[in-house]
Amino acid sequence: MDFQARKEANATVITLAGRLDAVTAPEYERRVQELVNGGDSRFVVDFDGLSYISSAGLRGLLVMAKLLKTKGGQVRFANVKGAVKEVFAISGFNALFGMDESVAAALETLS
Amino acid sequence: MNMIKVEHLSKKYGDLTVLKDVTVEIHKGEVISIIGPSGTGKSTLLRCLNLLEQPSGGSIQIGGVNIMDKNVDLPKIRQKANMVFQSFNLFSHLSVMENLTIGPMRLLGVSRADAERKALEMLRLVGVAEKAGNFPDELSGGQKQRVAIARCLAMEPEIILFDEPTSALDPTMVSEVLSVIRRLARDGMTMAIVTHEMGLAKDVSDRVLYMDEGVVYEMGPPEQIFDNPQREKTRTFVNRIRSVSFSIASLDYDLYAMNAEIEAFCEKQYLPRAMRQNLLLLIEELLQIYTPYLGRTALEVKVAYSEKSETVEIICESAGEMANPLEGEQMPDELGLTIIKSMTDSLSYQQADGKGKLIAVMKKLDK
Repeated sequence: MDFQARKEANATVITLAGRLDAVTAPEYERRVQELVNGGDSRFVVDFDGLSYISSAGLRGLLVMAKLLKTKGGQVRFANVKGAVKEVFAISGFNALFGMDESVAAALETLS
Repeated sequence: MNMIKVEHLSKKYGDLTVLKDVTVEIHKGEVISIIGPSGTGKSTLLRCLNLLEQPSGGSIQIGGVNIMDKNVDLPKIRQKANMVFQSFNLFSHLSVMENLTIGPMRLLGVSRADAERKALEMLRLVGVAEKAGNFPDELSGGQKQRVAIARCLAMEPEIILFDEPTSALDPTMVSEVLSVIRRLARDGMTMAIVTHEMGLAKDVSDRVLYMDEGVVYEMGPPEQIFDNPQREKTRTFVNRIRSVSFSIASLDYDLYAMNAEIEAFCEKQYLPRAMRQNLLLLIEELLQIYTPYLGRTALEVKVAYSEKSETVEIICESAGEMANPLEGEQMPDELGLTIIKSMTDSLSYQQADGKGKLIAVMKKLDK
């Protein structure tokens, strides 16, 4: 998994690539925790480069959402597609999270 | 009536045991197909039946005569149990007609006129009468094999032994030979056929012998062997199951190394990309539900693909007593099980003989 974070005007954009699975989910949780500890509370997660997600990856996203809830923060997901979108649909994540078709649209929604 | 009775037949080549202990009877008018993986002794069994191979032990009786008796009339045995070979074995320097008449004239004492009349009759039966004056090299593979069958019939055998009669043929020529064999079966000819043509074995046989490990591993009517095989190796063979297995002994298993092996396996089976993705996800989720137990139990994971039904099964076998992992009591949530259920057509777990066995049959892709 490749994890990149950049600051935009009103949120932090996390760009993911590769796989979010049992091996990489702990790292995802750790990196998000670091960002939140650093004061970030509004996020857009860009799934454009993510080709695979398993339940372990979904749990990482849930951990993030719970963490932000305690801080009064927010997260939106952008570019969820292909196999990842299917897993989201199976597990009901489509209804749990705010989804947007692009990072720009997600940032717009957050503002 | 028993035409052939084989008891405790064995055949060794030095230290190599090809036939361990074969016992089988073939009745008059019966068609037996002998199937099984390469190198399991199918052809050797057939060749022992007319002493092209000398058995190492056991007994063979043909029509009540013990053919392993030192004083046996070998040409007579080979006339009774005549063989059709994979590579035809026609005499290339003789015409088709001469190939058919030489045996009856020399071994049965038949006159040339009678032998030629019979030869023509047999050539008509297999549809190559117009080639009577040709030489084998002027014929196609299918025609050569039909001539070989006619030559065999001209000897008026009691049983024909077919040793992979279509293996050396181009696919386009297989059907012409198969239709001749089917016709002989309809006419009541006693036949033992070693074949890789499962369609033929299913259609024409009264009984099918599945050979493996140098024995008749399973024997039964074609409906049993092909549709409801009773033993595992038979099932693997008839369903053309290819598999890859992994042993997982601790929590520190290498998921990515396993994924790479599964990808290579899928590549070999030409499984579509989307199916591979689903398989990798399903396996990861199955391993996740076993995670709480992995420190205490060794897990064997087998991915089995059936070419026949185009289905993928994942079998997880765990040693020792453990709770049903599908009940998910040890899991933090239902996410993994939800994914597993959505990706499978059937999912079961059984505990028996100190082992737990989970079988997940993957959903096929929508076409």
